[in-house]
Amino acid sequence: MLPPGDVLAYSAGALRGHRLRTALSLLGVAIGVSSVVVLTSLGEGARAYVTTQFSSLGTNLLIVLPGKVETTGLAPVMGGVPHDLTIDDVDAVRRQVPEVRTVAPLAVGTAQARAGERSREVTVAGVTADWLGVRNLRLQSGRYLPDNETDRDRSVCVLGSRVAAELFPGRNPLGEMVRVGDERYRVIGLLAPRGTSLGMNMDDVVHVPVRRHLRMFNRTGLFRVLVEVHHRDRMDDARRAILALLTRRHDGEEDVTVITQDAVLTTFGRILGVLTAALAGIAAISLSVAGIGIMNVMLVSVSERTREIGLLKALGATRGQILAVFLVEAAMISAAGGVAGLGVSFAVTRTAAMFYPEFPFDPPAWAVAAALAVSTGVGLVFGALPARRAARLDPVAALSRR
Amino acid sequence: MIELRGITREFEVGGRPVHALRGIDLMIAAGDHVSIMGPSGSGKSTLLNVIGCLDRPTTGSYRLDGREVAGLDDRTLSRVRGRQIGFVFQAYHLVPRMTAAQNIELPMVFAGVERVTRQARVAKALGAVGLVERAHHRPEQLSGGERQRVAIARAIVMDPAVLLADEPTGNLDTVSGGEIVGLLEQMNARGLTLLVVTHDPGIAGHARHRLRMVDGRMIE
Repeated sequence: MLPPGDVLAYSAGALRGHRLRTALSLLGVAIGVSSVVVLTSLGEGARAYVTTQFSSLGTNLLIVLPGKVETTGLAPVMGGVPHDLTIDDVDAVRRQVPEVRTVAPLAVGTAQARAGERSREVTVAGVTADWLGVRNLRLQSGRYLPDNETDRDRSVCVLGSRVAAELFPGRNPLGEMVRVGDERYRVIGLLAPRGTSLGMNMDDVVHVPVRRHLRMFNRTGLFRVLVEVHHRDRMDDARRAILALLTRRHDGEEDVTVITQDAVLTTFGRILGVLTAALAGIAAISLSVAGIGIMNVMLVSVSERTREIGLLKALGATRGQILAVFLVEAAMISAAGGVAGLGVSFAVTRTAAMFYPEFPFDPPAWAVAAALAVSTGVGLVFGALPARRAARLDPVAALSRR
Repeated sequence: MIELRGITREFEVGGRPVHALRGIDLMIAAGDHVSIMGPSGSGKSTLLNVIGCLDRPTTGSYRLDGREVAGLDDRTLSRVRGRQIGFVFQAYHLVPRMTAAQNIELPMVFAGVERVTRQARVAKALGAVGLVERAHHRPEQLSGGERQRVAIARAIVMDPAVLLADEPTGNLDTVSGGEIVGLLEQMNARGLTLLVVTHDPGIAGHARHRLRMVDGRMIE
């Protein structure tokens, strides 16, 4: 009916008449859209980040934890004190479960590490030679912990890069002695810098043989055990076999938990999915606030231009045409705001990506598309009331309005 | 051409009924020049609005060009206003952000006239009111008389049959008022039916038929 080009020209002309007002409501939409896009890319980025971090653990991994973790969220069943997960358990798994390739126990404690005058509080990891391969760690220099039966309990240690730098500034620590807690260890290797993984600094650590670790901290229980399985498709069999074996060893009590990486990933993915949705929800609120801003501006515009609307009616404009003119005005504000908001959010995510290169900041395509569609929709929805009001004005009353 | 029978129009003002028109019977032939005089509140503007299809009568019959328009729906009435009727208002009612040419073009935009055709017709209407050199001025850059001439050009650009003018010289001095009256009479001479509401007897005196209204009634 009304040629689109003419509607656009007419609405654009009206908007140009109120530059500041138009710019401000456009800004509101831009903020709404950019917060949707930035916050969702933050959420999606977190999900991708966690996924890659878990993948860096290596595939084909089972994680054995002491104690029963009830995934239903109920408190653990009180069936007596759970048994420790011991070195003997580890040996039993290694010997009796055929699907298993490597079993790597881990004991964790903190202690003062001292070399000469310098000392530092460090994380002490009690591990075996297999730990290096299971965790995809690399050596900077020297050797890792010994593998063979005779040497495996010797007082030797491997330093994380940060510990090495702090305790032996400007010196080569290889061959030097380090006092950890009350025991003395000879440094035989240095780990390559690794950075932070899952919130744990991998460089601020001293690796010692697991049996010495347990003795030093006077414990029998391990923190956890990582199990590498030969084939990915045998993961479930391995999991069941380990669980059955350890239950038998623990007097028939199922007091350990064996989780697969997939399960952990799924859980994290679910949590972060909820997080993303929550962030998107928060951002959506700002978008709807922007919509109310548009509605307000359009209502002001309609009441200011009452005489103009009356005139258009006298000149033969139908209700539908006037409705279209005002809807297009609102949609133009919000669509332009949407485009501006996208620009802002790309600038923000690019900048953030420069500072945190390891964090994937890519705005998800669905968020970009949705932000644009929703922002234009916002203009149409919140512009509808003012436009209807304009279209229904009584021409006689409108024309005589001062 | 214009045929009113028993037209009444009632409003509610502050909860009380106001009888603006109390039974108007009126025939205006095509090409006629009619003036309506009367004191404020006599209903003359309401009558003009009814004739211009901006307002609907409460009761009665209104035939325009032989077609009953009193009961038409909103959309059809819009078309009637756009194509058959031209309005000239006391306050000009030009859109301030638009140039004279754009103001004149406006009725054609809403009637869906092609862009190419519009330019030619704007130029022709500007010529008819003698404002060709003012085409790209905005209303604020024009004098009162010039603004009213732009409004007249806008009223005739759709080539209507009826021109309705409500106090067209009310905001103008005597000289430019006289020019506007002259211009309206020119349009009438070309065959447009002209209906002028005024309370200036000098202007009313130019009309072929002079009507007087008091209290919602025609007293001739």
